[in-house]
Amino acid sequence: MGKAIVITSGKGGVGKTTSSANIGIALAMMGKRVCLIDLDIGLRNLDVVLGLDNRVMYDIVDVADGRAKLVQALVKDKRFDDLLYLLPAAQNTDKNAVNQEQVKDIVDELKPDFDYVFIDCPAGIEQGFINAVSGADGAIVVTTPEISAVRDADRVIGLLEQHPLKESPNLIINRIRTSLMQDDSYMDIDEITTHLGINLLGVILDDDKVISTSNIGKSIVMDPDNPTAQGYRNVARRLEGETVPLMNINNSVKKEGFWNKLTHLFSHKK
Amino acid sequence: MQSAVLKGTQSGYEVILNESSSLEQINIDLKNLLNRLSESNLKKSEDIKLNIRIGNRLFSQEQKNTIMENINSYHGLSVGHFMSNVLTKEDAEAKFKQKYIEPMSKTIRNGQEVNIDGDVLFFGNVHEGGKLFASGNIYNMGNIKGIVQAGYPDNEDKLIIGNLHNAQQVRVGEQYDIVSDNPINNKESTVVYVNDLHLLSYGKINELKEINPKFFNRIGGII
Repeated sequence: MGKAIVITSGKGGVGKTTSSANIGIALAMMGKRVCLIDLDIGLRNLDVVLGLDNRVMYDIVDVADGRAKLVQALVKDKRFDDLLYLLPAAQNTDKNAVNQEQVKDIVDELKPDFDYVFIDCPAGIEQGFINAVSGADGAIVVTTPEISAVRDADRVIGLLEQHPLKESPNLIINRIRTSLMQDDSYMDIDEITTHLGINLLGVILDDDKVISTSNIGKSIVMDPDNPTAQGYRNVARRLEGETVPLMNINNSVKKEGFWNKLTHLFSHKK
Repeated sequence: MQSAVLKGTQSGYEVILNESSSLEQINIDLKNLLNRLSESNLKKSEDIKLNIRIGNRLFSQEQKNTIMENINSYHGLSVGHFMSNVLTKEDAEAKFKQKYIEPMSKTIRNGQEVNIDGDVLFFGNVHEGGKLFASGNIYNMGNIKGIVQAGYPDNEDKLIIGNLHNAQQVRVGEQYDIVSDNPINNKESTVVYVNDLHLLSYGKINELKEINPKFFNRIGGII
């Protein structure tokens, strides 16, 4: 029996879909069977990020309304031998086209066949959010080191705590820019984690390649050397129960050593 | 034994009703008692208030009314108040609540609102956008970054005590302050109160005596 995890954030544009795709792929690369459900009905794009948009035949609304069977609507990602599937969202209906029970039924039907079912939640806290949460056993809250994203994450965690899932929510801090880490006004990871008061599942560095790879339907996580990819792979390993130390995000920030300071000092005096 | 007995005390006349007698018996005995009283040499001009002691039981309003009618029918006599040794559960709970301070360790997140009946001793977090409302006082030992209101909705006798410099708004009754417009000293605990001019003011804990003598006295301070 697999586990259903909703990926949510409250705020839009913080990387829910990108995170869903990359964590899903990372787990598939570890040999786990993963199903990704896109619940951003009307504005679907998980299929695009995965490069599967041209293979979509049926969608979740078709399944909910009984026009298609669940297995017919699942889109297989051929890159991962029978391990990664997508249940796409509909484009021509709105978020009220499915209800909580329908989503829950679909998720429950998928869980026995997969190790992980990830539910990509739409932005906001309306019906789409309620639908996405209703079928889930756990939640991953994605935020970025920006005040607006952290506030919305706080709101969402509050809502999740009011109607607790089986497991308490986890946090991913996405799009960390190392170049800004030394800026005092930049929110640091410890600050965000203590403030939100939930378990930190991982930190993901910002990288231009995230966009360039997803534009061609590939995912950053497949790049073996990229630190962002490393972040997503660490998240996947932690979900699997491994203890992985937090990536040292200050690596790329060069600190001035003692000798450098000394030489600077002398060069000034000249 | 008579079910209704008249007794004079320092605070006036009391009628003591036997708690094991029926109401019918009480009314009969009360009539006899009052008849004798009106025949006796009381000055007719004097209005007498009778307090009714009913012992370890409670009367409903209806039962009280029959006794009151009975007494009021005599010229110059009226009922002061009923005194009972017992309380209803509701009254007892309300009395308990009045003195009770609710300890609370909770994270109130953005968009959440917590309402407390009475005083609260707060150890938790109020995040930006979270709201903590108490009908009584708020004693804060936690971390408040959101909105706090004592004396909710409109009681201006209440206080907020604690470290409040991170809050967004402080409110007492109907008065409020935006903390960033009016920064609060972060070194010491602050007492937030409404002064005689109905303005929100800030004081130190050692000024509590001057700020709210009634409260200070109640919690054991010597004026």
